[in-house]
Amino acid sequence: MKEVNKETVISIKGLTKNFGEKEVLKGIDLDIFNGDKIAIIGPSGCGKSTFLRCINCMEDATSGAIWFDGENLADMKVDINVHRQKIGMVFQQFNLFNNLNVLDNITLAPVIVAKNKRKKIQRQNLKIWFKNLFSKQKTAYLELGDDIKIIKEKAELKAIELLKQIQLEEYAKAYPSTLSGGQKQRIAIVRALAMDPKVILFDEPTSALDPEMVGEVLELMKRLANDGMTMVIVTHEMGFAREVANRVIFIDGGKIVEENAPSEFFTNPQNERLKDFLSKVL
Amino acid sequence: MKAWNVFYKQFITYNGYKTVLNGLLTTVEIAVLGLIIGILIGTIIAVVKVMPKYKILPKILEKVCDVYVAFFRGTPMVVQLLIGYFVLMPALNIMLDGVYVAIIIFGLNSGAYVSEIMRSGIQSVDAGQLEAGRAVGLSFWTAMLKIVIPQSIKNILPTLGNEFIVLIKETSIVSFIAVTDVTKAFRAIGDANYEYIIPYLTLALVYLVIVLLITFLIRLMERRLKRSERSK
Repeated sequence: MKEVNKETVISIKGLTKNFGEKEVLKGIDLDIFNGDKIAIIGPSGCGKSTFLRCINCMEDATSGAIWFDGENLADMKVDINVHRQKIGMVFQQFNLFNNLNVLDNITLAPVIVAKNKRKKIQRQNLKIWFKNLFSKQKTAYLELGDDIKIIKEKAELKAIELLKQIQLEEYAKAYPSTLSGGQKQRIAIVRALAMDPKVILFDEPTSALDPEMVGEVLELMKRLANDGMTMVIVTHEMGFAREVANRVIFIDGGKIVEENAPSEFFTNPQNERLKDFLSKVL
Repeated sequence: MKAWNVFYKQFITYNGYKTVLNGLLTTVEIAVLGLIIGILIGTIIAVVKVMPKYKILPKILEKVCDVYVAFFRGTPMVVQLLIGYFVLMPALNIMLDGVYVAIIIFGLNSGAYVSEIMRSGIQSVDAGQLEAGRAVGLSFWTAMLKIVIPQSIKNILPTLGNEFIVLIKETSIVSFIAVTDVTKAFRAIGDANYEYIIPYLTLALVYLVIVLLITFLIRLMERRLKRSERSK
């Protein structure tokens, strides 16, 4: 096992989540280090998907803290959109944008983010221009960066590059409805990659796929893992978890019951509930 | 044949057709512009209604929208027109042509109805689409505008067409505020000789033709949207 660089990407402290009266998560602490591949397993309804969705605030935590980039994402005052750009997410149902073709699916968010950044600089420059009118000391304008046209071109080039890596560049102009599940999921992963995320969250990425197509998606995820991407994966693929993850977490009843390296986790489970679970699924 | 001759004389010789054509234009103008305003207002209200309500502002906005919809759905359009033209305009000390007042009132009124159409359209789009949009860091409004609303349009097109048909027919009340639409034009022709059979039957035919034409156009649009879906 490669020695991982112990820089924390996300630090979760005492995370709880209630749906009405029902307590789904009962205090979860987890540090995700740079380069970690964390597999989260557990019986259905144990809260593992909810936990994953709390990390990027798709569900708002009831209490607790999620530290990312020096800010607490659980704090409602934080601009969550900025942070979500750096936390990729891959869904069970792919969720490609049905009204856009493959290329636009991938470039939509990067282009909008770059455009907004440009607009912000333009606003600041306007303020500087206004200030310059009244003061002798002239302030220099800020660098505006690329034209909108160039922003688009760059994003498209990058998207094509990413599509080439998964051998789907010929589908750039195709719409999601014509693609197979495996192709959709691989494009969804590429869509997350196009934002250069620091971490990608996978919410049961292969559960909605035909058995035949599971392999191609896992293959891509393995390649990401080898490239050093930080990944948190909720999965039922025990073989995959064992092979790729460097930490495996078992959640039951809204708590982390056991965490270990995969070799120990699968061969020498400590917790009774985990032993029972593994005997059923392995 | 007497009725027919009277109508012919009034329609052609005394230039009745000009009034009718102008009236027709006014009718279409009010309905089309009203629908456009209605779609804009309706979309905004619909999005406000499906917005997550953590903060205080969306809650206030929703209450405002509720009051708005309740008023415009709860009172007859004629009354709204009369209030707009005879109460609000003098009170605010502005002078507008009746046509503009009609366009504004029709827009506001249809906004209330379109908001419900839009809301059901937005809710018919899979929730995962918005979620995926938010997950890549788009704001709620951007995700709505770029992803959810374009997909909902296809679902609501038939209902929206229906709203347009309703608007076209409803414009027949604008003579209450002294606007000459196609209905008033034909009534004037009838009034000239107190001979109403042919003007009013023709009027009915005119509306029928317009509505059938719109129905046909909507079918065409629907088919085209479906075709693009298949060739995707």
